[in-house]
Amino acid sequence: MMTSLRASLLVVATLAVPALAGAADIVAGQAKVKEVCQACHGIDGNSPSPDYPKLGGQYPDYIQKALRDYKSGARKNPIMAGFAGTLTQKDIENVAAYYASQPAVLAPRY
Amino acid sequence: MFIHLERLPMIRYRVVLTLSLIFSAAVAAQTPAPAGDVAKGEEKTRMCEGCHGIEGWRTAYPEVYHVPKLGGQHAAYIVQALHEYKNGDRSHPSMRAIAASLTDQDIANLAAYYSQGGPKTQTAKK
Repeated sequence: MMTSLRASLLVVATLAVPALAGAADIVAGQAKVKEVCQACHGIDGNSPSPDYPKLGGQYPDYIQKALRDYKSGARKNPIMAGFAGTLTQKDIENVAAYYASQPAVLAPRY
Repeated sequence: MFIHLERLPMIRYRVVLTLSLIFSAAVAAQTPAPAGDVAKGEEKTRMCEGCHGIEGWRTAYPEVYHVPKLGGQHAAYIVQALHEYKNGDRSHPSMRAIAASLTDQDIANLAAYYSQGGPKTQTAKK
C-alpha cells in the first residue's frame, strides 16, 4: 500500500516537473524573434508577405508543433528547416508564446 | 561553322521560340493556383468547419494541439499548405485525406474564403 502510494507520488512529481520547466519566457521569445523570425513574419507576427503565414495570436501549441516538425524534417520546407534547426526546445516554446501573445490577426472562421 | 545568311531569320526565330518556351515553363511552374472564388470556397468549408470553425478546437491525433486559426491568413500560404498536405510534405492524417479530395480550384476557393479576415460577425480576436 505504502509502496504504491509512494510510486504514485513519484509519478505525479515526474509529470509535474516538466510542466513547471515548460513555462515559456515571452521576453526571451521576443529576443529570439528579433534575431530569427522578424524578417519574414514581422515583429508582431502580422507578416507583410503573402508567402509567409501570419502568426500574431495563433495558438502557441500549433506554432510549437510547426517548429518541431520543421526541425525534425516531418514538415518539409527548406527555408524553415534552416531556421527551426537553430532553435532549442526552449526557444521554440518561447517564440511560440511570444507570437501567441501578440495582437490577434487571425480568427477561427465559420 | 558556316551560316547561310538567308537562314538567319529562321535561326533567330528558333532562338526566340526556345527562350519563350523556357520562360513560359518557368512562369507556369511559379504560377499559383487559379483565382479563388470566395462564395464557392464557403460552400466547401463543410469539411473544414468541424475543426477550423470552432474556437479552441484541438486535434487529438497523432498528438494534441490546437488546430490553427485560418481567418485572415494569407491566401497564398493557405494554398501552399493545402498543396503540401496533398503531396505529402505535411503529414497530418486528416488534413492529408481532406486535401487529397480537393482540386486546385477548390484549394484556391478555400484560400480566398479563409483569407477574408475574421468570422462574419466579428473581427479577429484571440
